Amino acid sequence: MAEEKETKSIDQVTVEMIEKAAQDGVRVVFSRAETTKPCPIGAEGSCCSICAMGPCRVPLPKGKEETPEEKKKRTGVCGATAETIAARNFLRKIAAGAAAHGDHGRRVVEAFLLAARGEAPEFQIKDEQKLLQLALDLGIDIGDRSNNEIAVDIGETLIKEFGKQEGELLFLKRAPLKRQEIWRQQGVAPRGIDREVVEAMHRTHMGVDQDYQNLLKQGARAALADGWGGSMIATELQDILFGTPAPVYSQINLGVLKPDEVNLIIHGHEPQLAEMLAVVAQDAELVAYAKSKGAKGINLAGMCCTANEILMRHGVPIAGNFLQQELAIVTGAVEAMVVDVQCIMQGLVDVASCFHTKIITTDHRAKMEGATHMEFDDRHATESARAIIRAAIDNFPNRSQNVRIPDNRTGLIAGFSHETINYLLGGVFRASYRPLNDNIINGRIRGVAGVVGCNNVRVTHDNAHVIMVKELIKNDVLVLQTGCAAMACAKAGLLVPEAAAQYAGEGLASVCEAVGIPPVLHLGACIDNSRILIAATAMVKDGGLGDDLSDLPAAGAAPEWMSEKAISIGQYFVSSGVFTVFGVNWPTLGSKKVTDFLFKDMEDLYGGMWAFEPDPIKAAKLMIEQIDKKRKALGIDKARERVLYDMEMRRELEAA
Amino acid sequence: MDYKVEEKSAPGRDKVEVLGATFEEGRPEVGGEAGKWRQKLGTREEKLKYLQTGERYWYSKEWFGSEKRKNPA
Repeated sequence: MAEEKETKSIDQVTVEMIEKAAQDGVRVVFSRAETTKPCPIGAEGSCCSICAMGPCRVPLPKGKEETPEEKKKRTGVCGATAETIAARNFLRKIAAGAAAHGDHGRRVVEAFLLAARGEAPEFQIKDEQKLLQLALDLGIDIGDRSNNEIAVDIGETLIKEFGKQEGELLFLKRAPLKRQEIWRQQGVAPRGIDREVVEAMHRTHMGVDQDYQNLLKQGARAALADGWGGSMIATELQDILFGTPAPVYSQINLGVLKPDEVNLIIHGHEPQLAEMLAVVAQDAELVAYAKSKGAKGINLAGMCCTANEILMRHGVPIAGNFLQQELAIVTGAVEAMVVDVQCIMQGLVDVASCFHTKIITTDHRAKMEGATHMEFDDRHATESARAIIRAAIDNFPNRSQNVRIPDNRTGLIAGFSHETINYLLGGVFRASYRPLNDNIINGRIRGVAGVVGCNNVRVTHDNAHVIMVKELIKNDVLVLQTGCAAMACAKAGLLVPEAAAQYAGEGLASVCEAVGIPPVLHLGACIDNSRILIAATAMVKDGGLGDDLSDLPAAGAAPEWMSEKAISIGQYFVSSGVFTVFGVNWPTLGSKKVTDFLFKDMEDLYGGMWAFEPDPIKAAKLMIEQIDKKRKALGIDKARERVLYDMEMRRELEAA
Repeated sequence: MDYKVEEKSAPGRDKVEVLGATFEEGRPEVGGEAGKWRQKLGTREEKLKYLQTGERYWYSKEWFGSEKRKNPA
C-alpha cells in the first residue's frame, strides 16, 4: 500500500469544500476514508470469496521470506494456491471493467440503431465522415445510399460483435498487422465481447481454471474485447451521432457553478442524455420557466466522464472529477445531480439529504435508494430531458442560504480526437502523423505517454496525476489524457497551449508552439482510451517508429486508479504492447509468481508489461526509461550528423 | 500603431531586438466555430477523398509507411 497521504487534495477548491462539509456535519468520501480503512488482504488479491467454504485468506507473510513449506500451506480450503486466487481476482476485475465498457457500447449501438431507423428522431447522424469511415472499415456498401441506410447496416453489424461466438472482432483489423499476428499467435484475439466476459466469469468459478498463466491469458483476451471492442464501438458511434471532437475552450472546477442560476450537474458516463440536456438547457421556454422561479438562467455542468463527453463536443464546463462529486452538492448551489451509470457514489444520496439537491437516476440499470428515478428514453429524448430540467428548476426556490461557491475555475482546451490530431498536423490537404513521428525521430519529442484513470481517496487527490504529467512534459514526453486524469491536469493549468512554455522541455515546447497545441492533449472520457490505440496505430503505420505498437517510444499510466475499468484498460494497453504503470496499490502482490508474470513475462508474450510504482516521480522515470529503451532499439537514441546529399551521392546510394 | 520591440537571445549572438506581436492577445470564444474543421468537407465525395488521403493508413493503397515500405527492409 502507498504510504498514508499527508493532504487530502492539491486542489484548493476541494480542500475548501471538504472543510465546509466538516463545518456542515456532512460525511463525504474523504471523511469516510478516515474511518473505513482498506482491507490489506483484499488489496493484495489474497482473499478468495468465490464459494461458501470461504472466504479464504492467504496473505503473503509480512517482513520475512516465505519458506517452501509455508508457501505450500498457503492455500484456500479447496487447495487453490495464492497464484490461482490472485489471478482469478485479477481476471474478475478485467471482466467487470470490460463488461462496463461493453454494456456502455451496447447501449450506444441500440440508440444508434433507433436513430438510424428514425425511431429516435431527436438523434441524428451528425458526422457523415465518420459514418463513411466505419462503412469502409466494416465493408458496408456506400454507393448512393442514404446515411440512415448505411447507419442501419453499421448498427446491425456492430450489435452482433457482442454476441459473436467465432472468428475475431472486426476492429482488430485496424491494429498494425504485426500486432494482429501477435494476438493470433498468443491465442488472445477476442471472438465476441460478451463471450470473453462470460468465459472469464466461468473460468474463475470454483473449480475451473486453476493455472494462473491460463487465467491471465483470458484476461488479455477479455481486455482486448474492451479496448478494440466495446470501448471502440462506443467511441466511434458516439462520434457519428454527436460529432467527432475538435478543439474547444472551456473551464473546470466547482467555480463554474453559478450563484444566481439553476445549477444542474450531469454525472456518469453515457452521453445520450447529456447531449440532449445540453441542447434543451438553452430552450427559451425553459429559461423563461427558470426565471419565473427567481433564477437568472439554467447552468449545466458536467462531472466525471459524462462531463468529458459534453465538454469535448459542446464546451460545457466541468464541475469536477470523481472525488469532487459529493463536494459539488456541499456548495449548496446544486438543484439537481442527474446520474446514469458508473463511478456514481452511493454517498451522494446521503450528502444530498443535507441540502436541497435532488439526485435523479435515469437508467434502469443504476437505481439508488433514496433518489428520484426519471427514466431516460432514447425514443423521447427531448421529453425526458425537459422533464429533468423542469424538476431541477422546481427545486431552485428550495435553495437555502448555506451556499458557498468557490471562486476558482481554470481554462482548458479539449477535443483532441485522433482525427483532429491528424488534421492539426497536416491540414485537410495532407493530414498526417508525419510531423509527430519526425519530431520523435529527431528527438524534440522524446516519446508519447497516455496518463489516464481515476481519482483514489487513498492518495492525495489529483497529486500523482499532476506531478507525473509535469515530470513527463519536462522531459519532452507528449502526454495524451482521458477521464478524471485529464481533469486533474486541467485544474492545474496544463491543458492550455501556454503550459508548454511554462512546464515543457525545450523540444516539446517548440513543437507545441509550432502546432499551437498544449503539451497535454485531452482525448475524452475513459471509454475514449480507444482513441489512444488508434492514434498510436497511426504513428506505427506512418513509419519510422517500428512495425508494431510495442516498438513505439510510448508508455501508459494510471497513477490514481480506482475502478475495475482501469484494470481492464491497463490490460488492453499491455496486451497491445504498451508498458503500463499503475499507482496507489497493486492487486496481485499476494502472489509473487503472478506479479512477476504481469511485470516481466508479459513483455515476452505481448511486447508490453505492467509495473507498479506509487511514487509519481519514480513512475514517470520508469516510463521515461521505457521510452528511452524503445528509442535505443529503434536507433534514434543519438543525434545523427545531417548530410546534404548532392546528385552524385544520390546516384551512388541508388546504385548500391 | 505603436510597435513593441522585444529583446530575445539568438543562437551565436548576443541579445537582439525584434519586433513584437502586433495583434491583441485574446481567448477563444466558448462555443465558437473555431476549430470545427470537419465542416470544411462538404460533399460525400470530398469526405471519401479525405479518408483516402488523411486516413490513408487504413483506406488507401497510395502511401508508404511501416507496412508498405518504399525500400523494403
